[in-house]
Amino acid sequence: MSSPLAPATPGSRSVRRLLSPGLLFALPFLVLFAVFMLWPLGQGLWMSLTDTSLSAHTPDFIGLDNFSEAVRDAEMWRALGHTVWFTALSTVPLVAVALGMALLVHTGLPGQWVWRLAFFAPYLLPVGVVGLLWIWLYQPDLGLYNHLLDGVGLGRVAWLSDPSVAMSAIVLTTLWWTVGFNFLLYLAALQSVPDHLYEAAAIDGAGAWRRLWSITLPQLGRITTVVTVLQILASLKVFDQVYLLTKGGPDNSTRPVVEYVYDVGFTGYRLGYASAISYVFFALVVLASAAQYAALRRREK
Amino acid sequence: MTVTPEPVGRPGPTRRRALTGALAAGAAVLGAGALSGCGSALAADDRTVRLWDLFSGADGGLLNDMVRRAGPDMPGTRIERTVLEWGTPYYTKLAMASAGGRGPDVAVSHMSRLAGYAPTGLLDPWDLDLLAEYGVRPGDFADAVWSRTRFEGATYAVPLDTHPFIVFYHPEPAARAGLLTGDGVLDTEAFGSPDSFLAAGRELAKASGRQGIAFGYVTDTAQCWRLFYGLYRQTGGTFRLPEGGPAEVDADRMTEVIAFMTKLVDGRVNPRRLDYAAAIAAFANRQTAMILSGEWELGTFRAADPKVGAAPFPTVFGTPAVYADSHAFVLPRRPHPDAGHRRRTHRAVAALLKAGQIWATAGHIPAYRPVTATAAYAKLRPQADYARAQSSVVLDPAVWFAGAGSDFQNAMCQVLQQALLGDLAPDRAARAMVRRLDTFLSKPSPA
Amino acid sequence: MTSTTDLPARPAPARPRIRELSAPRRRPPTGRTHLSLGESRLARVLALGVLGVLAVVWLLPMSWALLTAFKSEQDASDPVHWLWPRHGLTLDGFRTVWERGDLPLWMFNSLLVSAAVTVITVLVSAMAGYAFSRTRFPGGRWLFTLTVAAVLVPPQMLIVPWFRQMLSLGLLDTYAAVILPQTVAPVMVFILKKHFDSLPRELEEAARIDGAGHARIFWSVLLPLSRPMLAAVAIFVFIGAWNNFLWPFVSTSDPALMTLPVGITSVKDAYGIQYAQSMASAVLAALPLVVVFLFFQRHIVKSVATTGLGGQ
Repeated sequence: MSSPLAPATPGSRSVRRLLSPGLLFALPFLVLFAVFMLWPLGQGLWMSLTDTSLSAHTPDFIGLDNFSEAVRDAEMWRALGHTVWFTALSTVPLVAVALGMALLVHTGLPGQWVWRLAFFAPYLLPVGVVGLLWIWLYQPDLGLYNHLLDGVGLGRVAWLSDPSVAMSAIVLTTLWWTVGFNFLLYLAALQSVPDHLYEAAAIDGAGAWRRLWSITLPQLGRITTVVTVLQILASLKVFDQVYLLTKGGPDNSTRPVVEYVYDVGFTGYRLGYASAISYVFFALVVLASAAQYAALRRREK
Repeated sequence: MTVTPEPVGRPGPTRRRALTGALAAGAAVLGAGALSGCGSALAADDRTVRLWDLFSGADGGLLNDMVRRAGPDMPGTRIERTVLEWGTPYYTKLAMASAGGRGPDVAVSHMSRLAGYAPTGLLDPWDLDLLAEYGVRPGDFADAVWSRTRFEGATYAVPLDTHPFIVFYHPEPAARAGLLTGDGVLDTEAFGSPDSFLAAGRELAKASGRQGIAFGYVTDTAQCWRLFYGLYRQTGGTFRLPEGGPAEVDADRMTEVIAFMTKLVDGRVNPRRLDYAAAIAAFANRQTAMILSGEWELGTFRAADPKVGAAPFPTVFGTPAVYADSHAFVLPRRPHPDAGHRRRTHRAVAALLKAGQIWATAGHIPAYRPVTATAAYAKLRPQADYARAQSSVVLDPAVWFAGAGSDFQNAMCQVLQQALLGDLAPDRAARAMVRRLDTFLSKPSPA
Repeated sequence: MTSTTDLPARPAPARPRIRELSAPRRRPPTGRTHLSLGESRLARVLALGVLGVLAVVWLLPMSWALLTAFKSEQDASDPVHWLWPRHGLTLDGFRTVWERGDLPLWMFNSLLVSAAVTVITVLVSAMAGYAFSRTRFPGGRWLFTLTVAAVLVPPQMLIVPWFRQMLSLGLLDTYAAVILPQTVAPVMVFILKKHFDSLPRELEEAARIDGAGHARIFWSVLLPLSRPMLAAVAIFVFIGAWNNFLWPFVSTSDPALMTLPVGITSVKDAYGIQYAQSMASAVLAALPLVVVFLFFQRHIVKSVATTGLGGQ
């Protein structure tokens, strides 16, 4: 890495300007950025206007055909719907449970490291492990959860093969897997609530509940907004655990839009159409971000 | 900034420093090696033929045995298997690997998927002269199977087996129902028309004391299609799928077949709402005397009834046709194949075909006829009883979107299932299938 | 991915300070004023009870996996005696999956890929962060704005063009294809730029007077000062790369090049589903990061809490 850092050799003004140290420092990033982000973004856009295929066939320019097909493609809308539905189902518990865990742990009860380990460790598992683990837990005849349901006299559940249950099962897995991340963010925020607020409240004789409602929770308002925003954006990108648990099934009833891109592009060979759907997905993410930004601005006012 | 900077100048804990240092040093070395492009496993030992397949369970074990048996037939060559998840993920990975040109040396594929691979440039053709050198010639395969291996004058697949959709039966109730011939095999003539088929079902129900014929299809992504397409082809109706559409099919005959299928799962003589596993269990536990099923369940059934019988699917609508598919060896595309290694691959596949007797124990009909012509094979029961199905097999239509584990089969099954559950009249189901066919045909072919 | 490895930075109002987040808390609970449960013994017991139940629920899946991994195949699929194995515990599952040989290979691949991604990303992002924070060059502000905007781009939408790109470069099924696209992390550039902004400039003045150039200042003054921040970013990037699934899954089909999460879910056993073996490989695959976590809990927790907010 030493060559770009070497002081620029004296030369003409323009060369010096071009090879200014700042640019040289930024260059490695800019090159990677251009080659692996800007170029693919452009190429994706171009491919979405062609019928590029995984096979040896030479692509033809087809204008906006892919996009007009996408608008009429019921499966795409269904997949978008699943992504939005997953986001709606997962965001609330992922924020609320994380908050509850953080509040409880923050009370200073003994066994701090045990709690942190229990709640955060799943986040460190590779999703491949999460997939194997939960397929086994949800296994209809031998899985732990159906054994437990049997044990308390409730019937067995076809966790991953019943279209009305599968999405909830995926949400449960996601909650278990990633809640630890939000939990840590809350824990950090709780520790930065200024002590003097509590001291004042204690002098006023406020009880524990009172302090929770009138100091802690209001102080957590902002971090809650941030955690929610991050969670929504993360949930919209869901693919891994759905693919590993159900492959989008049964009957495509859990297939998110990212998996639809994968299915169309690689299973169906239609890279061009898959690129068009990628851009539809991008539009969804941008839309969600813009909506959240607008909502934030309104609240600020 | 979230972080309050740590006090300036405080030395980091030594443990952290050690960790960071070690990590950085190690990764720099590894990273440099990796990025210089040495990552390809193609450089692996060139005596190894890498094979991808989708066989696990009993089939997987048998293929291991075959690899062992084939060993002496290919001195100096080793076959290394990679088993990938069956179904769509397998075919997706195979296509992606072939597109990248760094796929395995040879892979197993369903013949019904060939139309989506061979014309798209994802496969390389086999060298028939090389195969002949190792004792494998086109004449060694049934025409119905071999004809499907060719595209534009080249051979893209070497069939390993045929696995037809057949009928299994328990001999005792079948005998009591008077449906066995003198030499103790199923009298398929007695199933020779829709009415006699249904009548035979009633006799079987009486003889079993419970129900007649099991067929598992609820939520299954292939079963309905297997039964439907075999029967439809027996009617002699056209089923042409020209690129771009519309589908040229005979909706009346489709309706006729669907109506027959609906009667077959009437819920009185035969059980009504069975899924795949429930149908297997119903037959294995002798709740029914017969089952419509793929031959690959032979192992399961024989465990339940050592005397279980089997026969080719009866000709119900006049023209003999048995729905089947075939596992075949294909060559994933290589931009610059190594001639020596390709030869080795041909030799390895020829050696595996000759070990096909092992494969037959699973129930599959070995495609390489020198194996089925042996006395040892003729002694295999009930395999030998349905081996003749091979001459009248029909595979999925040769279009890029059809085949085992495809969306197409799933889509057809969704419509058929509604009809069989009584939610959709047969004629409306036929029209819905045609509409779905047209949707598939309207999609551009990747070829 | 829901694993929140690619976090957007956005102008958000929250500025929680991360302070001794995970320092061992040895203070007596009564001495804490802020969220203590008061004097009520009942409240403490109740809270402890709720926490205990939550922890059991959260630990249950991993304990079940661990138990299954130590069972024989026969006991693992025994529907009646499902809790405690009748034939005792065994290491057979572990032995079988380890001896098959691909698990160690996938671990090595994961380590190599994650380490390379981490080193490249941290180095390149730190240099860019320095450039955007401390120097001016033509187009610099514009490029920084572009970088910040790119935080919005979900990597998931790039899998198709990346695949196409690697295809035309002939790099599919190589380590380079797996690693390179993962090294572009605009959010890390943003975080590190903000971090450098927060360091007082006086520190460099002395060095500059001594005639040190940018290279010296960056390497010998700022980087040493930024060690905690760099460690936080490095840990975060490493976890993200270690757990990344979609792109390694798309870019590799050769089992010899797969990373751990891809390999253990794509390659099957020839003898069918064996639950004890499946859990044994899951446990082995989970082990490295969990062990690292046990040793470096404090750093990892802090890294996630600082970097995770995306430099808010």
